Amino acid sequence: MSRTRTAEETKTAMHKVVAEMYDRIVKGEPPTMTLPVRTKTNIGFDKKLGVYKYGKKQSVRDATSLGSAKQLLRTLHVVEFIEEMLDAGKSSTLREMYYISEGWGMGKFGSQNDSNNLAEDLEIVTKCLREDFKLRPEEDGARMIGNLTLRERNRRGEWMRINARDDVGDSGYGVPYNVELEKIELLEHDIDFIMAIETGGMFDRLIENGFDEQYRCGLLHLKGQPARSTRRIMKRMSEEWDLPVVVFLDGDPWSFRIFASIAYGAIKTAHISEYLATPSATYLGITADDIVAYELPSDDLSKKDIEALNAELTDPRFADSWWQEQINMMLELGKKAEQQSLAKYGLDFVTETYLPEKLAELGLA
Amino acid sequence: MTGIAQKLASNQKQVAISEFFEKNKHFLGFDSLARSLITAVKEAVDNALDACEEARILPTIRIRITKVDAQKDIIRMVVEDNGPGIPQKSIEKVFGQLLFGSRFHAIRQSRGQQGIGITGVVMYCQLTTGRTTHVRSKIATEPTAAFVDIGLDTRKNKATKANAGREIWYNEDGSGKEHGTEVTAEMKAKYQKGRQSVWQYLRMTSIVNPHAEIIFIDPDGEKHHWTRVTERLPTKVESIKPHPHGIELGQLQRMITESNDLNLNHFLLNNFSGVTNRARKELCEAADIAGTRKMKTVKGDDIRHLLEAFQGERLCNGSPVKLLKPPTNCLSPIEELLIKKGLSKTIDSRFVSTLTRVPSVTQGNPFQIEVGLIFGGAMAADKPVEILRFANRVPLMYQQGGCLLTKAIESVDWRQYGLDQAGGRGVPKGPAAVLVHLASTNVQFTSEAKEALADNAEVMEEGRKAMLEMGRGLRKHLEKKKKMAKTKEKFELINDILPAIAKKSAEILERPVPELSGSITKIMSAVISETTTEWNKQTKQTDVEIILFNYTTRVRAYTILATWPEKSGAKIENNETGGRKEALGVWAWKLESLQPGEKKIIAYSLTGLERGDWTETEVLFRGSQDVIGATKMDEKFLQEIRRQEQIMEESDVDSQEAEPGSEAVDEPETVPEKNEISEVPTEEGVEPAVAPPEGQRTLFGGEV
Repeated sequence: MSRTRTAEETKTAMHKVVAEMYDRIVKGEPPTMTLPVRTKTNIGFDKKLGVYKYGKKQSVRDATSLGSAKQLLRTLHVVEFIEEMLDAGKSSTLREMYYISEGWGMGKFGSQNDSNNLAEDLEIVTKCLREDFKLRPEEDGARMIGNLTLRERNRRGEWMRINARDDVGDSGYGVPYNVELEKIELLEHDIDFIMAIETGGMFDRLIENGFDEQYRCGLLHLKGQPARSTRRIMKRMSEEWDLPVVVFLDGDPWSFRIFASIAYGAIKTAHISEYLATPSATYLGITADDIVAYELPSDDLSKKDIEALNAELTDPRFADSWWQEQINMMLELGKKAEQQSLAKYGLDFVTETYLPEKLAELGLA
Repeated sequence: MTGIAQKLASNQKQVAISEFFEKNKHFLGFDSLARSLITAVKEAVDNALDACEEARILPTIRIRITKVDAQKDIIRMVVEDNGPGIPQKSIEKVFGQLLFGSRFHAIRQSRGQQGIGITGVVMYCQLTTGRTTHVRSKIATEPTAAFVDIGLDTRKNKATKANAGREIWYNEDGSGKEHGTEVTAEMKAKYQKGRQSVWQYLRMTSIVNPHAEIIFIDPDGEKHHWTRVTERLPTKVESIKPHPHGIELGQLQRMITESNDLNLNHFLLNNFSGVTNRARKELCEAADIAGTRKMKTVKGDDIRHLLEAFQGERLCNGSPVKLLKPPTNCLSPIEELLIKKGLSKTIDSRFVSTLTRVPSVTQGNPFQIEVGLIFGGAMAADKPVEILRFANRVPLMYQQGGCLLTKAIESVDWRQYGLDQAGGRGVPKGPAAVLVHLASTNVQFTSEAKEALADNAEVMEEGRKAMLEMGRGLRKHLEKKKKMAKTKEKFELINDILPAIAKKSAEILERPVPELSGSITKIMSAVISETTTEWNKQTKQTDVEIILFNYTTRVRAYTILATWPEKSGAKIENNETGGRKEALGVWAWKLESLQPGEKKIIAYSLTGLERGDWTETEVLFRGSQDVIGATKMDEKFLQEIRRQEQIMEESDVDSQEAEPGSEAVDEPETVPEKNEISEVPTEEGVEPAVAPPEGQRTLFGGEV
């Protein structure tokens, strides 16, 4: 189910953005670029897709302030740069584009973050994906281990069959940045569910303890806030193989956000939530209850933690009663706990006691 | 020389001197080894500055401190000036007279001395090292310089001299020195660095004496050079007679005893300021003494009655006797432009604002407050601001916390003006230095140490008002900076970014580059003014250019006004746009129409100024639509200027009327303050022609 566009389609979409600016100048008005508001105030649940998408609120970036005007000029440079890549059949990383912008004079980026945001802006207004723009992320894809088999087209254009248990080393199968059909095909599996894990330490612990074989699951290391390709492959495995996805994270406000971006869609990428989010994903732990129930070693919430929790209380993605309860409970406790705090009861506690108990609640063990 | 010291040591009188010093070392400024050195430098430099000022010479002063014996803390100080020099006969009098007769009835603003002047230094050197002080001096009319070693004979209250002679005085470059004095003294002292140091004293001295060139070579051989930034010498000050409100019983008694006047009528008219013929009559009536009484017969209760009449405790016709205020032309403020220069040359900064208040009177003594604020640059942002206190141009370096001037600074809530201040009280924090100068004929200190000013409600109020004005200036500056940054951004937007957007979008779409004027008008939608004020090296003039651009869709009309330092003698030249003078230091141009997209330039030059005198022109406008880069004319501002003009005219009349003998009019109204920030011109001081006074001066007109 690729939604890749042709070079011509991409160009046409981008030209619309350029024409908006040009036409305004011709009319004697300041040039503008219209795009959806990208904050939590403008995301809403799309019943048809089952994920959170941007709402109808539009913001107009117009050239009446220096900052916005520079942003418009940068957009034009990026469009031109993408056109050149499309014509030459090349691609570049976002970081490379950032450095190339050094040559754009007044249109150069102030920071790498600028260039990332602008690429996203363009995706949103043109409804293209950055793959269409030939822009690659710098971000690190996930690692996977488990008895599942896929086909990846390598650099030479040959398809390779890879089993993520038998054909990989201890570090697992590395998920590439592009996991669309032209690059990855999901072939077969012999697992019951997929478990996404926040920290590398916990991922390695489960592998060492043979958890994937014992509980017939695929393990996926998220590496913090998961990259697009990580979320995309989870989504594909979940849909194409009809597998449940459980998410095992630290017990803090930031983990809640990671989960929301996996299950409901991230605010920054709400324009493509239906391609990235896995609505059926379940939050396994660490929950606020767990901190109490398992008497886990915990840290005090910092000021920033508390601010984040309060922000989540008004985030539409956390509007259901279970999340409200969890967030409020954490605020009341004033505590957070890491995945590794389970080691208080020994190295095997997580695989022999905690996870089986939690999975049993979901009917997965 | 050790021979002399031993002789002196065995001398009875020597013990007396030691005791005198020991008892009074606080008041003499020799209470610590570090302070002793500062005091010595201070006395020598004050003398040099005073001598140059009186002879109307631009001073160049060299100070060299060397360690003679580091273990025993023996330090040599050499201070050389280019003053008029001292005739050979007078050298011992100047350097060796222990106590001076004070001309007690002459009151004026003077630097005054710490303790007993340079004589104290001679004495201190002799007592701590047993060495005499070497003096070399040359006056212009003699071909050679006189030199002599000065010691002190306290029994006879005069100098001892030895090794006197004459020699040709060569400068370092081999040329002959024309005139000047050089003092070489060796004393037990410690050289230290920091806030209380010779360096700081000289730095502060240089700030309030921008006409002086000061070169200091410290014990490490490092050279510190504070350059002369103006050729203008301080205004000469006139002596004034004491005002009856400021007289104490003892002083009055002495004046009466020493009076040669014919009778009380003449005594009152001849020896006091503020006493008119009418007041003279009324004072006699109030004191119940006949004006024709011979002075010899005025004693005892009479004197007390007279004093009570002075102080308004005895009435005439049921009310206190009305007296004129003392004249204020006896004060010599440093003046705004010069403080500004002094501060800017010493401290690296972005903004300087200075303010000289109109003179005021407390207890019969005229005084005047001046303040300066310097902001930005390399100064530390997280430390308390540096406070630079001065009394009659003399730096005050000790007891900062207990000083009235510090309290005036602390009394202001600086937070509203852009500085940090915990709780809105105390010394504010920020990248700034605040200067406060009190010029007065009678400076009151908290103690004999003469390092902190005593509380005085009127002086405090003046100081506080000056600070508030200064603060407003700072806030205005910071706001203006922000506005200017915004305007600059807008210009970058329409001049650089917008054309780039137009060009790039046209390229991508392969269409012609669109016309920008419509977008520009929409983006700016304002009339914008840009002003530059620059020193022109070739013409030695200050060039001012005011550009106005109408970025709106309508025709606009304005009156544009600009400030220039008229009071400092500047003239507007090459002003082809014409216009007319609106008020003192404010010029106006009427722009009948400014078409959409039209640009108009007003350009002119200012003559009669030195480089750095005038660096920022304030541009104001009259008109219904805003002008970015200019301030809307506040008509109160004009009224204030016009009122000051009036006061200046009136005060000239006042000082004439204050002459004794002339018939009195009513007491002049309270003089409103003259308040300006650096953009506004200063008042040029009245320079009375008066012969330099003779002999030594005492502390601020008081007695030693």
